[in-house]
Amino acid sequence: MKKLFTSFLTAMATTLALIAAPGVFAAGGPVALDATPAQKLSDKAAMQNGAKTFMSYCLGCHGLSAMRYSRLADIGMTEEQIKAVMPPGAKPGDYIRTSLNRAEAKDWFGAAPPDLSVTARSRSSHSGTGTDWIYTFLRTYYEDASRPTGWNNKTYVGVGMPHVLWDAQKSKPPAEFDSMVGDLAAFLNYVSEPAQFSRKTIGVVVMVFLAIFFVLAWRLNKVYWKNIK
Amino acid sequence: MSQSSQDLSFPVQPSSSATSERRTWLIACGAVGGVAAAATAVPLLTSMAPAEKARSAGAPVEVDIGDIPPGGLKTVEWRGKPVWIVRRTPEMLASLEKIEPQLADPKSDRTAFPTPTYAKNRHRSIKPEFLVTVGICTHLGCSPVSKFETGNQPGLGADWQGGYFCPCHGSNFDHAGRVFANKPAPDNLEIPRHMYLSDTRIVVGKDEKGEA
Amino acid sequence: MASEKNVTTTGLLGWIDTRFPLTKLYKEHLSEYYAPKNFNFFYFFGSLAMVVLALQIITGIFLTMHYKPDASLNAAGVPVAFASVEYIMREVPFGWLIRYMHSTGASAFFVVVYLHMWRGLIYGSYRSPRELIWIFGCAIFLCLMAEAFFGYLLPWGQMSYWGAQVIVNLFSAVPLIGPDLSVWIRGDFVVGDATLNRFFAFHVIAIPLVLVGLVAAHIIALHEVGSNNPDGVEIKKNKNADGIPLDGIPFHPYYSVHDILGIAGFLILFCAVVFFAPELGGYFLEFNNFIPADPLVTPPHIAPVWYFTPFYSMLRAVTDLFTWVMVASAGLGALAVLRARWPLVVKAGALAALLVLAVTFRVFDAKFWGVVIMGGAVVILFFLPWLDHSPVKSIRYRPNWHKALYMVFLVNFFILGYLGVLPPFPFGQAYSLVGTVFYFAFFALMPIWSRIGDFKPVPERVTFKPH
Repeated sequence: MKKLFTSFLTAMATTLALIAAPGVFAAGGPVALDATPAQKLSDKAAMQNGAKTFMSYCLGCHGLSAMRYSRLADIGMTEEQIKAVMPPGAKPGDYIRTSLNRAEAKDWFGAAPPDLSVTARSRSSHSGTGTDWIYTFLRTYYEDASRPTGWNNKTYVGVGMPHVLWDAQKSKPPAEFDSMVGDLAAFLNYVSEPAQFSRKTIGVVVMVFLAIFFVLAWRLNKVYWKNIK
Repeated sequence: MSQSSQDLSFPVQPSSSATSERRTWLIACGAVGGVAAAATAVPLLTSMAPAEKARSAGAPVEVDIGDIPPGGLKTVEWRGKPVWIVRRTPEMLASLEKIEPQLADPKSDRTAFPTPTYAKNRHRSIKPEFLVTVGICTHLGCSPVSKFETGNQPGLGADWQGGYFCPCHGSNFDHAGRVFANKPAPDNLEIPRHMYLSDTRIVVGKDEKGEA
Repeated sequence: MASEKNVTTTGLLGWIDTRFPLTKLYKEHLSEYYAPKNFNFFYFFGSLAMVVLALQIITGIFLTMHYKPDASLNAAGVPVAFASVEYIMREVPFGWLIRYMHSTGASAFFVVVYLHMWRGLIYGSYRSPRELIWIFGCAIFLCLMAEAFFGYLLPWGQMSYWGAQVIVNLFSAVPLIGPDLSVWIRGDFVVGDATLNRFFAFHVIAIPLVLVGLVAAHIIALHEVGSNNPDGVEIKKNKNADGIPLDGIPFHPYYSVHDILGIAGFLILFCAVVFFAPELGGYFLEFNNFIPADPLVTPPHIAPVWYFTPFYSMLRAVTDLFTWVMVASAGLGALAVLRARWPLVVKAGALAALLVLAVTFRVFDAKFWGVVIMGGAVVILFFLPWLDHSPVKSIRYRPNWHKALYMVFLVNFFILGYLGVLPPFPFGQAYSLVGTVFYFAFFALMPIWSRIGDFKPVPERVTFKPH
């Protein structure tokens, strides 16, 4: 059994080594991504800033239709703060919807601006998480006269979206702009999976519990099998 | 122990020390396993509780009552149920005392559908003129029909003072939603928590103490 | 009452036993079902497969309470099915947990089943008298692949949609009836709402019913003949005076307790993924599937889910060049027929058939043969009990070069799987062709190679170290 097990592991190791072999098996690489500053991802203040940025700059075209305004209480926003960022006429229980007409948007931009509820997950790749993609994308715009909007993007070449944050970028020092985008990315990261924080906390409890159960099950097994000859 | 069972790989009769050892660990594992089973059941069963959507849809509802004529009934939906707002005439209110001998719970003492303190009176409402009640029969959930015309009518008796009749199993309710005695329904119609925002506007599902 | 059965039990249990064989079943299948004592690590995976099946059914039931199989767009322009999954993730209390358990469980099912099949392969568990257990098992594997395929459409993401579109289009490769067959399967000209609803029906009730039935048959067949073991020794050959195998131990309590340990270990790995890495780098929950299905835009890189990738590689390997390889195999088959000691008439018939086959290999599209090869890779497993002509059941007593060959088979399967995840590239395409040929040759030539070499003597009794 030991021999077979070791040869099984050798098989796995061989395969992994072949996979890791550079060049031969490597797929064509996408753009390198900047990592979103890690401390922002669990910082509620950062997420709140991001929420405000989103409502000011993004909600005009992009919805977060899987999310309700009232859910923003998760990241520490009070009822007044939530009401302050909601568009007029919306109720706290409403889903975060954009008022942009999809058909018209397709005419103007070539494609309807996608709903961003799970973009921080859908844009993940081997280069980084979707959050990293968003963080990089919003900071890699450059002027390009050949594009209808006058803007192109190194992370998403040929994008139909204009550089909406241009005003913010030119009025802030680079570090402050990066921080603003980082907060927005952290917010969208939260929106893509609101349960992620409690998931990890519960996970720790579950793993500790299972470790204890494993030890008990091991002892139980032992106490029966020592009678087997 | 027979000769042949000595050749077996397992003890046909484990020793008492082996048995008690086994029991110890069985109890330990069983206890922890039971906790695991409960911990698994809780999320599964909780997932069946009303989700955010149901709770949002169950939010309080504001109603304009200024347009209800005297003797008129307005229905609004709250938590998927019909809520009647009735603007009672003086005759309707007068019938409330007359009908009391025929009622099962004239003082709304029963607690199955607790009556809010501000409705614990003969007219079962904040203002006598307006009745706010859930239009669901307390027997098995059909919605009663309004029968405001008084006098002899089939199925309602000669001295019908006006009120509501449930077609499913024949329960009757008076103009304050109080159930008649000896009918299938055990309780008076539910009075939801409500409050006046102004003389012409009420909110159903919420009062000074908070949301229902 | 009139003529009640005589049973030895009393009280409530006695009442039941006269009406339902409860104690009899308990004894036959648990407390007096004797399994070999020398089961090793690979023998955990049968019970684990049952645990995962139960897990998928239970989490599936709770998901079905909230999921909506509707491809139309909601007011926000998002397909209702996709939105209902996000509803489960955010608004249903613990919905995210149930969803992750189900998605991780699907991948876990394949990990467990592949390991379970590998055990069967190396210890000869499919050999007489256990052929039927193996056949039921292969049928379970096929149903599992179908179940996973139907289930994967339900989230209605880009991978869901285009994966289904590609796989259903495979059926259009069938000569004559293909395109009509695809339309009939889909219920429409492209994958759409009709397809989603029927795949929902297949996934939620049709195949689970079949699966549960097949699993019952699988276990009944197993209990009829008794389990094999890593030494390939038949324990029923050495019994004591009471008819109990000397190397056997009652399944309950020894293996029930042993399997609890296995489940504990499995849960540690399973929960680590569910709580800390549910996407598992995009292998368990593919990134592209977080984009709602769009019939007008195919994502730049579609790959099937990891557990289908070895077979997907084989499908892609079948190009025009491969059809020549198939013709060559028909040629080799003809040579074997010529050498065989069959009556002349039979030989002539076989040669004619092979000639016709060789011609059809070139006449029909490589597209069609790709489908046949992919399906054939699973179907050939059914025949394993009759392909293996080794005098010895277990790999432990086979010549060393047999062991090496099994290792090569395993590594090849992994490599084919990995290549299936990547977009096609020249070296990968070349390897996939060789790898596919190796896979089929391993089985097709087994009647010959499994007899060759110095086999070690198989012991009378199992090898076991008390612990």
